[in-house]
Amino acid sequence: MLKSRRKFIGFLLLIGVITFWVSLSMGSVSVSVKDILKIIIHRLPFLNNWIKSEPAPQKYELIILNLRLPRILLAMLVGSGLATAGAAMQGLFKNPLASPYVVGVSSGSSFGAALAILLLPGIFSVPLSAFFTGLVTIFLVYRISKSDSRVPVETLLLAGIAVGLFFSAITSLIMYISAQSVHHLVFWMMGGFGNANWDNVIAATPFIGFGIPAIYYFSRELNVMQLGEESATHLGVEIEKVKKILLILSSLITASAVAVSGVIGFVGLIIPHITRIIVGPDHRIVIPVSSLIGGIFLIWCDSLARTVIAPVELPVGIITSCFGAPFFIYLLKR
Amino acid sequence: MLKVERINCCLENTLILRDISFQVTKGDFLGIAGPNGSGKTTLLRTISGILPPVKGKVYLEREDMSQMDKKRIARKIAMVPQNTFITFPFTVREVVAMGRTPYLHRFEREGKKDLKKVKESMLLTRTWHLRDKRVTEISGGELQMVVIAQALAQDTELLFLDEPTSHLDINYELEVLSLIARLNKERLLIVILVTHNLNLVARYCQKLILLKEGKIYTQGEVEDVLTSENIKSVYHVKALVKKHPLTGSIYTFPLCFNGKTETKKREKIHLVCGGGSGSALMRELWDRGYEVSAGVTNVFDADFETATLLNVPLVGEAPFSPITDESYRKNLRMIRESKAIILAEIPFGEGNLLNLKAVRQALKEGMRVVIINKTPIHERDYTKGRATRIFEDLKREGAIFVKDEKEALSLIEKILNPDSVI
Repeated sequence: MLKSRRKFIGFLLLIGVITFWVSLSMGSVSVSVKDILKIIIHRLPFLNNWIKSEPAPQKYELIILNLRLPRILLAMLVGSGLATAGAAMQGLFKNPLASPYVVGVSSGSSFGAALAILLLPGIFSVPLSAFFTGLVTIFLVYRISKSDSRVPVETLLLAGIAVGLFFSAITSLIMYISAQSVHHLVFWMMGGFGNANWDNVIAATPFIGFGIPAIYYFSRELNVMQLGEESATHLGVEIEKVKKILLILSSLITASAVAVSGVIGFVGLIIPHITRIIVGPDHRIVIPVSSLIGGIFLIWCDSLARTVIAPVELPVGIITSCFGAPFFIYLLKR
Repeated sequence: MLKVERINCCLENTLILRDISFQVTKGDFLGIAGPNGSGKTTLLRTISGILPPVKGKVYLEREDMSQMDKKRIARKIAMVPQNTFITFPFTVREVVAMGRTPYLHRFEREGKKDLKKVKESMLLTRTWHLRDKRVTEISGGELQMVVIAQALAQDTELLFLDEPTSHLDINYELEVLSLIARLNKERLLIVILVTHNLNLVARYCQKLILLKEGKIYTQGEVEDVLTSENIKSVYHVKALVKKHPLTGSIYTFPLCFNGKTETKKREKIHLVCGGGSGSALMRELWDRGYEVSAGVTNVFDADFETATLLNVPLVGEAPFSPITDESYRKNLRMIRESKAIILAEIPFGEGNLLNLKAVRQALKEGMRVVIINKTPIHERDYTKGRATRIFEDLKREGAIFVKDEKEALSLIEKILNPDSVI
């Protein structure tokens, strides 16, 4: 059992590496794997002195390093992050329909983005504002649901829906009264990596890079929580504390993902499902596998989004849903 | 050992439990019973560390439980809830293995000792054959056994059960409780069972706490606590408490046949019966609130038993003996105190002909007499026609003949309450 799990993770890592290289070479200009290797090795410390070879053409270097690499890294980060946050939320709410957006983070972030687009548009102000309002939303939802030092998940879910709807309404209002910037906002709400750059990658890495292992740290608790909160307490789990931490971690991941790539649906809902169908419901394996599959899946979706009708780009959310939904239905009916 | 010292408990600012004190030591099997809303489950949640008491303390082996780490409590106390719902398809073995959580470090995998304990508790609960099944695919009874296996795998000194069998068939109920009772005896496992089923308590527990409106009404050995008086004042139900001839433990039986628990006192009715002919009618009259008396029957016959259980005054005659003049007069005295007399469908022989004479005497004195006459009298007359002749006299003198108990009852209701519409 343990061995086959390790093998499976190894297999996924291999697919991840292949995905990474293939997607780097894909695009309106295709770059050979050899050139990519040259470009990357050229940039790495130590190795560049070690291997002497003809440098790849300058324009390739620009495409790979400034456009594709940050974009693919960002897709990987966001995919892994959303899938992990989704797995944590589904475990936390004991509900397979939960997603990273279930407690209203996406609506809160959209509101923040809309506000920034309207009041002070800028490369940094929009994601920052989205991140900030996303976190405000989750704290608001948490405070509303809290009673007697306990936070019942049912109330949390309902409060999330209510607060989310409220922010959606305000976002619609903003869109309605500021007709000229609507297009920008719509693109952001559909989600995508068209504006990906190194700044985005650097901004999202600490949150997602910390969030995923931190959620993994609580995977045993997530398992025991499936028996019900009181039963988990009787097995020695400090349930209120764990609940709060998991909620904060998944919200941090989600808010930072939304801040850099907009609202990308489907990944956080479906990937944990697919993972459970493949490896079973044990969170000790669901969390790492979800994050791997999520990253790989989103890289592929984004590669398709930028190549299908190149040079025009599709919002990646369209791709995730078009591929994910039929596959999910297939798995359900299998 | 668990000691509860004068605790008060609140749920959402409402005081649920007041001044609860008790303790359990090695080998105890304690039941906690009481009506719905009396605070049974709240008490169990408090003493298992879920709900901190607002006043008083719970001591687990002399240590204040509110100061203890949840993981340490989990190594001492295991809990079986009423029911468990698991969304995701874990295997049965995975769920049982979760019982080892309090013993494992964060990234530690279950070791040999853990797996041994898991297998052992699955064999005890007879769930080992289900080990690779998904918990989402097994029946409710099987799932409850799996949850019990998990609690046993937790390897604790105390086991708490909250209505563990209320959703189970009787075969599971017996299996679960026999197993728990066995572990209680063999391993001196301390068991606390919350239930509303007093017969389970009587059969399996040694001690009992009876809760009423958030307070301990009484506690002690089961035989001392489980009395008709205590049940009446806690549940407001008249109940019979007897020793069961098969199990040897006491059992309770609610004496309420119409669903009404309390009825106002009504008129006195005398029932002439014997040999079981009057039992059904006696119960029905008693249940409708009439003050019933009966006679003359032989001691230990079926009607006599019924009358004893219902506390109905009855004139008894020694077994297999004919009715004496003394009993006849006693019977007549009871008859004269009544508003109406019902004669059940008794076979008549020389020994009980005096019963028939008493009825005739009553009729002569102007009392209302209702006679049940489904089987014609000549078929149950073993007195060479004397009983049949008295029957004819009775008919002539105005006794009312009815065809069965049901008709007798509605007639009695009509006679005694002419205004009410039935």
